[in-house]
Amino acid sequence: MMVGILTGFGVALFGFVWQTSLGGISRKVVARLQKRYGPKWYQEFLDIFKLLSKRATSHGWIFDLGVIMALGGIIATAAFMPVTNDIFAFADFDNFFIYVYLIAVGMLGMAMSASGSGNPLASIGVMRALTTMLAYEVPFMVIVMVIIKHAGTSSLRGIAMAQQDAGMWYMVALPLGFIVAFICLLGMLGKKPFETYIAPAELASGPMVEYGGKQLGMLFIMHEITVFIEVSLFVHLFLGGAENIFVFLLKYFVVYSVANLVSNVNGRFKIDQVVVFFYKWILPLAMIQAFVALYMNGWWN
Amino acid sequence: MESTKFSPITKLSKEEVDRKWWEIGDFFRRNSLWMLMYCTGCCAIELPPAMTSAYDMERLGMGPMATPRQADVLLVTGYLSLKTLRRVIYTYEQMSEPKYIVGFGSCTINGGIYHDSHVVINQLDQYIPVDTYVAGCMPNTEAVMNGFIDLMSLIKNKKADGWKRYKKNYEWYKKNQIDSLGEVQVHDEYHQ
Amino acid sequence: MTNTINNVEFVRNLVEDNYKVNKTEVIDQYQVSFEVEKEEVHRLLAQLRSEGWIQMSYLSAIDWIADNEFELVYIVFNWEKPVYIQVRTRLDRDNPVMESIMPIHPGCKYYEREAHEYFGIEFPGNPDFHKPLILEDWDDMPPLRKDFDPRAYSDAHFSSREYPETHENTLGQESKVAQRESRMARVFKVGKGGKK
Repeated sequence: MMVGILTGFGVALFGFVWQTSLGGISRKVVARLQKRYGPKWYQEFLDIFKLLSKRATSHGWIFDLGVIMALGGIIATAAFMPVTNDIFAFADFDNFFIYVYLIAVGMLGMAMSASGSGNPLASIGVMRALTTMLAYEVPFMVIVMVIIKHAGTSSLRGIAMAQQDAGMWYMVALPLGFIVAFICLLGMLGKKPFETYIAPAELASGPMVEYGGKQLGMLFIMHEITVFIEVSLFVHLFLGGAENIFVFLLKYFVVYSVANLVSNVNGRFKIDQVVVFFYKWILPLAMIQAFVALYMNGWWN
Repeated sequence: MESTKFSPITKLSKEEVDRKWWEIGDFFRRNSLWMLMYCTGCCAIELPPAMTSAYDMERLGMGPMATPRQADVLLVTGYLSLKTLRRVIYTYEQMSEPKYIVGFGSCTINGGIYHDSHVVINQLDQYIPVDTYVAGCMPNTEAVMNGFIDLMSLIKNKKADGWKRYKKNYEWYKKNQIDSLGEVQVHDEYHQ
Repeated sequence: MTNTINNVEFVRNLVEDNYKVNKTEVIDQYQVSFEVEKEEVHRLLAQLRSEGWIQMSYLSAIDWIADNEFELVYIVFNWEKPVYIQVRTRLDRDNPVMESIMPIHPGCKYYEREAHEYFGIEFPGNPDFHKPLILEDWDDMPPLRKDFDPRAYSDAHFSSREYPETHENTLGQESKVAQRESRMARVFKVGKGGKK
């Protein structure tokens, strides 16, 4: 039990360090695309530690409590994530639905503290974040249900090992589902074109508008660990998990870089365009994929 | 009786420990300055060349941030009329500490070409503490980058203590503000 | 394709036949200026609006301090027959009151507030012409009048930076005056026909 908890914290720390370095490297890649030198690769670390060393004003105890709750919830979620087939913290607790449940805790914490600050822009940002979540969760759930039915288990390690045993990843077996899940991943990470809930120049950063100093540093840490959890979910569900750590790092790097490059050339949608896009184009694709996978299984044999 | 074979262990005094923590903090703060683009006047058009591909500001670690609570550096670009100065003071007092101010252009130094106007103030550092100036009308973009690097080296040498001066000499700054502005509270139709 | 000189003729006929115009000036094919009496401004602007000059482009004042008068300028524009018409009136400088034209052009509300703030002209009929629009907490005379000295106001209210008045040559360069004189001497030497 104790070993499990320590391993869990180790996984969360590893995820934070890896994702933060990868964030800096992505900024450098984007900068090179724009024909300029970028920041150093450890720039995100410098940003977070600088934020943790500033003294900011607080708006009351709900404000502070919400941030701590969000950060604590996310670290607890990351502790359950299996990294490879052999590195995992708790053997029976890597069910997919645990992540769906616990990511909501992070969102709720941020919503609570944003509403405690009293700024109307924060409320608009939180409302938009929850609306975006409503838009991308439905197609994502449809595809993941198909995978769970096909693999027979809803444990992440079980799905990963099923792909490795069959020799074919779900990326190849369910191509439409892969596209749907990739676009939902862009929505989950909050990258353009679904960046509506942060909207840096429009809403003055949405829910993060009243934070400064230490609270903002903790929010940034929460965001990095959230990204780690979501991209790892994607790797385990569609790219077959990993046998050892280097394969995992390589797959993670490829997925995150492609997501970053795709989001870099897009503008930002309005919130009604986000919801219409997901329900008009993505949800029918997910339905078609589900129909083909469940009822026409093996017709090509 | 104590042995005199080894020299006594020096324990760091409290001031030295504080200083070392502050130095570590200064390393992080000077390598990741976030600026609030308060584009007050004409010199603000010198900011896009500094941000984009030719004279990249992001390799120094600086980047634009949307709200004063998240920003470190307040860039006062250009002339300040009385109306703007009230709002700049309002914004400056909202920022979280430690905070720095860079004054762009000649209008913040001595009034520039608007020195004989009835609404433009002449000397910025009577009202809020300024760390460094960048002279010119407009300054050249290389001068702007040089100004940022000067600010970073001032932070390294612990001379960028505008916020401490503001807190220490608060009555003097307040007296100057009220002499010139009348009052610093913002009264217009949208704040009633 | 409309011939624009007809537009100016049309405007001149329309205005000069029906109103007592003190001075007309045709600036170019797109701008005409009429100076009328103060009482005729409302009727003229209402008729122009019904003829198609629906956009109020500008409203401002000029301070003729030697004549002791203000001159109000209204500029209206028509998108069908493109001519800018300037309607000018003279007001007494000691008691400048002009009835507001809000019933005709409601968008002139902010222009009239600005004219009141900077010149002191009053516009009864405009519900909030006395509220400050641009300047806040202003306690002196209206600033754009010609007898207001902005330099004196600035020196009285804002301190300016003092520089030490030393003229030192710290870099060891030749003074600019000496450089200029030697340059001019070279110019004049060559100008008289080359080598001596």
